[in-house]
Amino acid sequence: MAEMNMRRRSALLGAIILILLAAVYAAGALMPDAAFAPDFSSSRLAPSLDHLFGTDWLGRDLLARTVKGLSVSITVGVVASLVSAVIAALVGVASAMGSRRVDAAVAWLIDLVMGVPHTILVVLISFACGRGMTGLIIGISATHWTSLARVIRAEVMQLREREFVAVSRSLGKSGPWILVNHMLPHIVPQFVVGLVLMFPHAILHEAAVSFLGFGLPPEQPAIGIILSESMSYISSGMWWPAVFPGAALVCIVLLFDRLGDSLKTLLDPYSAHE
Amino acid sequence: MKRIVTVLITAVLLVVCASCSSEDGGTPERDTSQVIIAISSEPETLDPCKGWGHGFTPLVQSTLVEYRQDMSIANDLATDYTLSDDRLTWTFRIRDDAYFTDGEQLTAADVAFTFNTAKDEQTTLDLSYLESAVAVDEFTVEFRLTRAHSTFINTVASVGIVPEHAYSEDYGTNPIGSAAYKFVQWNPGEQIILEANPDYYGDVPAIERVVLVFMDADAALAAVRAGQVDVALTSATLADQEIEGYRLVAVTSMDNRGLTLPVNKDEGETTPDGYPIGNDVTGCIEIRKALAYGIDRERVAADALNGYGDPSYSENDGMPWHNPETEIATDVEYAKSLLAEAGWADTDGDGIVEKDGLKAEFTCLYPSGDTVRQAVAMAAAEQARELGISIVVDGTSWDDIDRRMFSSAVLMGWGSTDPYTTYCLYHSSYALRDDYYNPENYRSSITDDYLESALAAATQEEANEYWKLAQWDGENGPSMCGDCPWVWLVNVQHLYYVADGLDIGEQMLHPHGADWPLIQNLREWSWTES
Repeated sequence: MAEMNMRRRSALLGAIILILLAAVYAAGALMPDAAFAPDFSSSRLAPSLDHLFGTDWLGRDLLARTVKGLSVSITVGVVASLVSAVIAALVGVASAMGSRRVDAAVAWLIDLVMGVPHTILVVLISFACGRGMTGLIIGISATHWTSLARVIRAEVMQLREREFVAVSRSLGKSGPWILVNHMLPHIVPQFVVGLVLMFPHAILHEAAVSFLGFGLPPEQPAIGIILSESMSYISSGMWWPAVFPGAALVCIVLLFDRLGDSLKTLLDPYSAHE
Repeated sequence: MKRIVTVLITAVLLVVCASCSSEDGGTPERDTSQVIIAISSEPETLDPCKGWGHGFTPLVQSTLVEYRQDMSIANDLATDYTLSDDRLTWTFRIRDDAYFTDGEQLTAADVAFTFNTAKDEQTTLDLSYLESAVAVDEFTVEFRLTRAHSTFINTVASVGIVPEHAYSEDYGTNPIGSAAYKFVQWNPGEQIILEANPDYYGDVPAIERVVLVFMDADAALAAVRAGQVDVALTSATLADQEIEGYRLVAVTSMDNRGLTLPVNKDEGETTPDGYPIGNDVTGCIEIRKALAYGIDRERVAADALNGYGDPSYSENDGMPWHNPETEIATDVEYAKSLLAEAGWADTDGDGIVEKDGLKAEFTCLYPSGDTVRQAVAMAAAEQARELGISIVVDGTSWDDIDRRMFSSAVLMGWGSTDPYTTYCLYHSSYALRDDYYNPENYRSSITDDYLESALAAATQEEANEYWKLAQWDGENGPSMCGDCPWVWLVNVQHLYYVADGLDIGEQMLHPHGADWPLIQNLREWSWTES
């Protein structure tokens, strides 16, 4: 490990995190509903070897619910981030390549979306779209693209002035040809890093909105729902439904954050010089 | 991102600290001249003409009649009352020694004014059948009805009399009454203070001062631990803690929870608002009855309410108009045989029965955030699965329930001291309305006739007989023995932490809602030790 340079360390760390996240997702996705079905005979059990995270008021195993919830969070995070990143790419490119009027309109739209706190906007959009998984994904997708769109717009504007683009243009290449062959390959690193760094935000917003009761339905195992339910029992000394799922959410968010950092290092051309 | 993570970690640590700091704060010395009661629901008004006190005693105002311990009717302000032969005129004689707390005498004019004002206000109190209230002389008041209405006496029991001379727009926030307690102060969002009325015509209460503080169940529990309140409502989820200086009091109620089951099949019909009507599974009577007989109510109470519940068989268990013949015994084998005889069988081995390709599965809605209804629904669903019926429990908003309650089961709750609720739940005229009474679309001309006869009855005894027949006459009725549009499950016990030494009297059977029914006998409360 000591001989590894930063690039290799990042690659290894990124791979481990990716495997870990994939394992959590697969465990949740493949888990049968029976694993977290109510079992009133084992209600409110503190953490033990049988139930590592304890059980809730309805006797549901909190470890199973947490893993299932994390898998749901990862799904929402990945899908919403992907949609959001695609929106950001389209808007960013259109803003940079389009007319001045389009650029001004996009700048105004970005300011508008950024001007309203994300959580409130996600709640409103999710509610208007019928709540549930679809509403939540639309809500998060529609609010998280702004920063990445600005980055991509700046990158495309910079590229537009570069020599090889000017040469292509003077050789008579069309706008779409330049976009596909010169612009897109150059914005991929920003796009990928922006996408991965969007995951933790999306997951936290999913949990926050579900916690507030505007996201996923209460029967769906989701971290926000578990934390929201735990508030009813916390004053009776039942700490485990709040602590373990909360800590698991923090871990997943941190893992995604680290994954984004690793990817940034890998895609940074300067790291290749090490 | 680091900031968010820091905030999350801090929140988790705070939660741990909060749950660990559940040690008793010690009980300070008590002032036995007063009682402090934690209440979770702050009233919007203390004006009986605008709905205050409906369903329980209005505290600061007296009523003409009141409920006895056995839920029969006794005189309070009234000295006697009669009903005319055509059953359209009620005449009440009232006592001549009742005074409002501003010193003015309470007369028949005040009574007539109260009811005429309440009728005009058209709030939660349905007085549409009242033609007018007239003061015949100083102490006699006459109520003329447009149609016979035997439950008028139950309405009279929950309408506090307001002073005509001191009634204004702000009466609801600064009321004057003639009851055992007089209003002193209301700090919105914080507390209401009452004091014993020394000029009360009955026995002056032992507790001189009552402070009602508004706080939710968690805050109330913390206040109990710190010894800051004498009585606090709690829930089954929080009730298993022993707190020094307090005892847990469980009051039996008719605050029921049960399933409404649409009785028609889905034939593509909709309500005038466009909401679908009917459900192919609950539209089969054998499914509804299998659930009614196959679900063990004691087990639901034990599982979902930690034992703090009693089996429920109707909307009026324990009331004088309850029909005991509706109390069915759990019989899982009978329930299964009902399904088998109707052709339901598990052909694909998934544990759920089918018939003609239709799986015995339906959705049960409950308002999300209501942990009691969620637990009851899940406990019932677990037992239903053992019968081969799948109930998909779905927590959602009331707005969504409004749209889907005509085609899905709903975990509803009722429980009223007024038998008119029975009328609303089962009369055809209430079917498919948006008031939650009869979303199942139950209609029966036989039941309607009994309900009309109950309303037209000359005496409470006669009315009660018809109310009972309306539920089940041996062959017909909406009870679980009959058409079964409801599967009643449990009556939730109302739980309170009560300070040692505080006697809260003999509690009457509590209706739906747990806060205010507790204090309707406040004048009987006393400290037996400090």
